[in-house]
Amino acid sequence: MEQTLQTTEYPQDGHIPGNRGMWAGILCEMTEFAVLFTVYFVARLFFAEEFRTGPDQLNLLAGTLNTIWMITGSYFVANAVLAIRKNNTSLSLRYLYLVFLCAAAYMVTKYLEYKWNVAHGVSVQNGAFFTVYYYLTLTHILHVFWGMLGLAWIIFRTHGGAYSASYHEGMESFASYWHATDLVWLIIFPLLYLLR
Amino acid sequence: MTHKKLITWLWLVLLILTLGGSLLGEMSQAGYLLMLFVTLSMAFKGRVVIDHFMELKNAHPFIRNTMQAYFYVLPIVTLVIYLFSSGRL
Repeated sequence: MEQTLQTTEYPQDGHIPGNRGMWAGILCEMTEFAVLFTVYFVARLFFAEEFRTGPDQLNLLAGTLNTIWMITGSYFVANAVLAIRKNNTSLSLRYLYLVFLCAAAYMVTKYLEYKWNVAHGVSVQNGAFFTVYYYLTLTHILHVFWGMLGLAWIIFRTHGGAYSASYHEGMESFASYWHATDLVWLIIFPLLYLLR
Repeated sequence: MTHKKLITWLWLVLLILTLGGSLLGEMSQAGYLLMLFVTLSMAFKGRVVIDHFMELKNAHPFIRNTMQAYFYVLPIVTLVIYLFSSGRL
């Protein structure tokens, strides 16, 4: 088990944020999405026209908002870790709740986006681009949902005083997972919503 | 600059890039300018989150290199596939 280092600013060189188990999971997640992105690229080659026109039919505002929620959630979770490194549990908790708000905002935006899609006839029946769009975004939603479950656990543990400046491996592990989920969205958003 | 100040500035930069990209996507025609912006900002945003939010800049080299490689490979593949699918390669 990896011991979290006591530091108020930066961890030492060669550190592993959180623990190896979580990193095994993160690398699996990145591999899973690498496969899905490969599907995107192959489909883009074979259905070039659909992929050129597809983004125009998506709700760019929803995509932009979700990018803002994901980036901001990442920012808040990084701050939560910085706070616990200074033994400031109450501040760390506030940041964790803000992460939860961002995640909830992401889910609500996604729900409204899908509702808008239905109203505007955006479905998998419309071709390869929309099949890939739904497959990528639904898989991402699943990872955000799992992240929310993990976040609830971390909030519970923080309330119980489980984390301190000298030990906060669980929080760092969760933070790493959340950042990885943000990273995936930072790829999904431009590929689906911007690139024509 | 403290770590907290640094990530706060970087967060603002990421937000500006996001809004700028969406504006560009909304207002511009399809083309190489948009594609370049998309690939470069994807690479930059990923690198910022990896190095400074995840603190992988000085992390174990296997983890750091694997995650950073993702944001070299994806933008390059995006560029190549874009050129292929538009008949330029």
